[in-house]
Amino acid sequence: MPVSDLPLISTPPAAEAALVERLRAREQAAMTEFYDRYSGALYGVINRIVKDEEEAADVLQEALVKIWHSMASYDNSKGRLFTWVVNISRNLAIDKIRSRQHRVGSRTQGLDDSPAAMRQAAPDAFRPEHVGLQEITSKLVPEQRQVIDLLYFGGFTQSEAAEELNLPLGTVKTRARTALKILAKLIR
Amino acid sequence: MKDFQEYIESGRLEQYALGELDPAARAEVEDWAARYPEVRQELDELLVGLGVYAEAHAQVVPAGLRERVLGRVLAEIGGAAPAAAAPTAPVAPAAAPTMRVSASNPRPAEAYAAPPAAQRSGWAIAASVALLLSLAANALLYSRWQQTSTELVAAQNSQARFAQTSQVMERRLSSTQEQLHVLRSPQEYKMVALAGTPAHPTAKARVLYNVAAHRVYVDVQQLPALPAGKQYQLWALDKGKPVDAGVLAANTAAGDSIQQMKDIASAQAFAMTVEPAGGSVGPTLNTMTVIGNM
Repeated sequence: MPVSDLPLISTPPAAEAALVERLRAREQAAMTEFYDRYSGALYGVINRIVKDEEEAADVLQEALVKIWHSMASYDNSKGRLFTWVVNISRNLAIDKIRSRQHRVGSRTQGLDDSPAAMRQAAPDAFRPEHVGLQEITSKLVPEQRQVIDLLYFGGFTQSEAAEELNLPLGTVKTRARTALKILAKLIR
Repeated sequence: MKDFQEYIESGRLEQYALGELDPAARAEVEDWAARYPEVRQELDELLVGLGVYAEAHAQVVPAGLRERVLGRVLAEIGGAAPAAAAPTAPVAPAAAPTMRVSASNPRPAEAYAAPPAAQRSGWAIAASVALLLSLAANALLYSRWQQTSTELVAAQNSQARFAQTSQVMERRLSSTQEQLHVLRSPQEYKMVALAGTPAHPTAKARVLYNVAAHRVYVDVQQLPALPAGKQYQLWALDKGKPVDAGVLAANTAAGDSIQQMKDIASAQAFAMTVEPAGGSVGPTLNTMTVIGNM
């Protein structure tokens, strides 16, 4: 199976290491390659957080520049490249919504599942191993998904999410943990 | 053995995966993961789960954005990282040696290795170059900004001029419409031709008189030029007595437009005399220029 058909999180370590090496060697073509492979996933996460296509594009640009400049500090023994870059993107996006005090106004509104928010563009090509939203929706119960959404796209801590959802902290932790384990099994 | 099981259950690993922990707590998690494969495996599983979740939300970057975003990124990294610095050493970033993203939302990457001190002086140079470039860019942007605000002021001035012009045009239009109405209503307005007196045979004007509404307009075809400080004054003659009908504005006397005069209740004839500017109480008869009967 070609590397590009694999989920990003299960890219073979060797392929990841090669790309990391080239990025560290300041090879600009490697950035283009990185963009073509990762930008869709990064953009999706960013857009889901900032909920504005223009702003999402700005944050994506910021994230890519940051990734480029921070490549030296990436340590593959501590996690996958995808985990690292998606965290950079996600944190920049969360900073963005915090800086515009997004949550002051829309905190209780939560994450919408309006058609616009759910409108996920189709992948560029058919990728049989790729896990889609539909599969996620069918595998997670709504309560689990709600918790993960708040934690991941809302930038809530587990305690904040417990407060927001009016649930005991233990329940939030259990739901998050169960949900993540279910998700991890989707690509086994 | 029980230790790590408890640690796994504690929720720390989820917090780590979600980026909720401060650097010290992250180091602790990494330490546990290094010591216990079970913890490592559990942590990896959580990270994979989040990765799957993230990627499930992947969106194709809208058309046109690829060129824009990638173009800017390449321009930025091309400009900020001197190519010569790259080939030998794996490079530490000039602008962001560590990866602090946000104090409120620290993440695992922050604890990753810091650049060796030996590489720093080279990067100090690179940073200086970047600073100079940035200063130049700032100067350029500043001058563009200034130019833009000058252009804005100019645009606002010209907009104000247009607004003024259009007000003037509107006034002219309404007065023209009014004049047109007067001229096109022969049944309402009686036309009185005023012919030149023997002293001014070429002088010619007319009065449009609405008897019912008492309204008087004057329309000049030709009048002799006036000496300085003088104005033409229109008189209505009612049963032989002159009644002041007002003085003619300069453009009226020049024949550029018709002018509404004072209302006149009744008249059998009209005449014009030359009077000191502002008009007189009674006509100076020897300056009479035109006269006409109804």
